[in-house]
Amino acid sequence: MLDSHEANDRQLDAGQQVERCDDAGDRQTGDRPRANRPAVDREVPLSGSMAAEDGNALAINQWLDGDVTEADARRADTKQVELWNRIATETERRKRMVTPAYVAANIMAALPEQRVDAQTATATEKRTVTSAETERGLSMNMAVAIGAGMFTMGLVIGTLVL
Amino acid sequence: MSSTIPWSAGVSAPYVRRYTSAVKMTETDAQVPEVDSDQDVISRVLAGDRDVFATLIGRYSDPLYRHALGMTGSPDVAEDILQTSFIKAYHHLTEVRGRFDAWLFRIVANGCKDWLKNIRRTHLSYDEDDQPSGFASPDEDLDRTELRSDLDYALAQLATSLREAFIMKHVEGRSYEEMADLLGTTVGALKMRVHRAREALQALLEEKYA
Repeated sequence: MLDSHEANDRQLDAGQQVERCDDAGDRQTGDRPRANRPAVDREVPLSGSMAAEDGNALAINQWLDGDVTEADARRADTKQVELWNRIATETERRKRMVTPAYVAANIMAALPEQRVDAQTATATEKRTVTSAETERGLSMNMAVAIGAGMFTMGLVIGTLVL
Repeated sequence: MSSTIPWSAGVSAPYVRRYTSAVKMTETDAQVPEVDSDQDVISRVLAGDRDVFATLIGRYSDPLYRHALGMTGSPDVAEDILQTSFIKAYHHLTEVRGRFDAWLFRIVANGCKDWLKNIRRTHLSYDEDDQPSGFASPDEDLDRTELRSDLDYALAQLATSLREAFIMKHVEGRSYEEMADLLGTTVGALKMRVHRAREALQALLEEKYA
């Protein structure tokens, strides 16, 4: 989303460059009719209140970034300064939060005694999977053998009874 | 020596070294704490000294925990992400190129983003947080709890990139330059994100608080 803003900024720069070139002497393209100019070239006059609002927002942001003093920001918008001072009490509390002690202990307890590289770990995993599959294969063979044995016993018993 | 000095939390070893060398000019060597660089610690871990990994945990867990907590809004999830990230880092230590803290931050930040992608929550709360309150009267405490809850709600409404920028600036107290370094973007783009996050929060909170 922001990248597209940056792209627009670049477009704006490019547009301004075109204008500068035009001013430099290319009369044929320089005097384009206003309606044909790309949107980025058009100047939109701000109403007085909108401009003031933007100015106030800028002052608040500059204050929050540490570029101007609180007094300067208050001159622009006292209410917003109050709001951000309240928010700051909460963000300051969060700045002091620390990791619960047991988290570090849990991490250390979860680490293997001998460090194993990720690649080695993957290989070990594969070996484990392979041996598990082998075991599963063996137990399948055993199940078939048991089934066959029981079937034979059933046949023998059936023959004897009949 | 592998002790952690309190003011180094969230500060990379090169910065700590730069700071300590500046201090050396005015104070005696005995007063200057010796700090192993991250690379020294990593070398020792790779050589088989598993326990020294605790130094890296002590050095970076707090700022990373605050980041995860700010992004997810849940202490339990933040702890899980932190644990998983450190364990992942331990297993991939040989792959560290450049600054360890920036590399580790990216693991945690990606963990948070993955969690947010998978679990969309409309309201996040710090209710489980049992940090003691430093406020005198119960009224003040109640006010604060309400603001805390409202701020959590407002933060949860922000797009992930805006929330991340706001948390890094206002909760982690990082400079724009440091943020740009960690996130691999420009200072201008980050200023824009923080400004937009502030505008959005202001719009959500001003009716009640301004």
